[in-house]
Amino acid sequence: MSEILKCIINDEEIEACVDPEMRLVDFIRERMHLTGTKIGCKKGECGACTIIMDGNAVNSCLLPVMRAEGTVIQTIEGVEKDGRLHVIQEEFINKGAIQCGFCTPGMIMSSKALLDKNPSPTTDEVKEALGGNICRCTGYKKIEEAVMSAAKRLREEA
Amino acid sequence: MKYIIAESVDDVLKAFSETEGKAMVLAGGTDLVLDAESGKKPSDAWIDIMRIPELREIKKEGDRIIIGSAVTLTEIARSELIKKYYPSLAKGAGTVGSLQIRNAATLTGNIISAQPAADAAMALAPLDPEIVVVSNEGEKILNMEEAYAGFGKSAIDSSKELVKEVRIRIPEENEKASFIRLELRKSLSLPMLNAAAMAKVENGVIKYIRITMAPVGVGPKRARAAEEFLTGKELNEANAGEAGQLALKDANPRSNPLRGSKEYREATLPVIVERAVMEVGAQLGLA
Repeated sequence: MSEILKCIINDEEIEACVDPEMRLVDFIRERMHLTGTKIGCKKGECGACTIIMDGNAVNSCLLPVMRAEGTVIQTIEGVEKDGRLHVIQEEFINKGAIQCGFCTPGMIMSSKALLDKNPSPTTDEVKEALGGNICRCTGYKKIEEAVMSAAKRLREEA
Repeated sequence: MKYIIAESVDDVLKAFSETEGKAMVLAGGTDLVLDAESGKKPSDAWIDIMRIPELREIKKEGDRIIIGSAVTLTEIARSELIKKYYPSLAKGAGTVGSLQIRNAATLTGNIISAQPAADAAMALAPLDPEIVVVSNEGEKILNMEEAYAGFGKSAIDSSKELVKEVRIRIPEENEKASFIRLELRKSLSLPMLNAAAMAKVENGVIKYIRITMAPVGVGPKRARAAEEFLTGKELNEANAGEAGQLALKDANPRSNPLRGSKEYREATLPVIVERAVMEVGAQLGLA
């Protein structure tokens, strides 16, 4: 049996017929073809599938697709605007916070969810926000620096 | 499978009758989605309770705090009301999984998954909560021990029973609670052990104390021998240390390949329990 899902993904209104047993991450990747959202463990242990739903970072692999009903979702594809990278993305590049890159979309989404709400985070708050994102290249220090530096730039540009 | 988005408690009860026990209540979903896929919890329909306004609140009512069953762990960890009266519960709720998980998962789900290593449920345990369950047969109130039927097995049947809320009494000035965790990492790790305590202390003497510990049995395990020993005694380091040793009488930890052998857990449990007791003292300005 299928259900009708209506939501907003990256500013676009979506209406789709879905199997409720499908997980949100599979809908985003297989049906919306937004493959920037990655699948690492599919058990909520790596954070590669992190998206922002109604302002909060969530693991899209742990949510049934219908949990998205009526929500506003942002994926990594919705972060750049008019072909320009977001400040967080630029600072990840500037600080060398990307190695293999597989965890990066999830890291960026967790960072953005934090900075959207808290423009002046402490390093402990950055660690809490990114605690659910695993980087197997272990480049954590540079990621933390990139988020702090992005926060500073966003405050200056505000 | 059918997906029912309930907008009221009545909607849930109606869905229970219509699906004749073949549906399951879905809160955060962070456990249920995985269990469903592995075939552990089959059902014909999910009843999503996260949009029910009356279940989405943390509020003060008379001498109680009421936590609706659709309140997320992040909301509990950041609630001014919870941080004021029970910082230990805010701490326990704030250590489950990761922020992404806590943004979806609920305290009630942490109880119903019935895993003994669940930090939020274990921090709640010594507060002597009332778990309010509604069904088409009416309403009933369970205490913490009554909610657990076995390892990973809840006494609450999610195909016909809905936890509406958890109620906890607002503590008096001389009543405080604590939560201590022995952990491998700060996030994305289940605890090797945890212990929580709540006590009332008058003139330095313990009037009552409840100590719970996990994972050392089914659900939160009361350290009865330690509690009896401490009652009527001074809250000090020597007594807390003795209580830590006595906690072993009520604990039967299993070996876990990642989170410590039985021997390691038995060697560290007394320290964790001692710290939980001393933390109550610290909050009362005694230690």
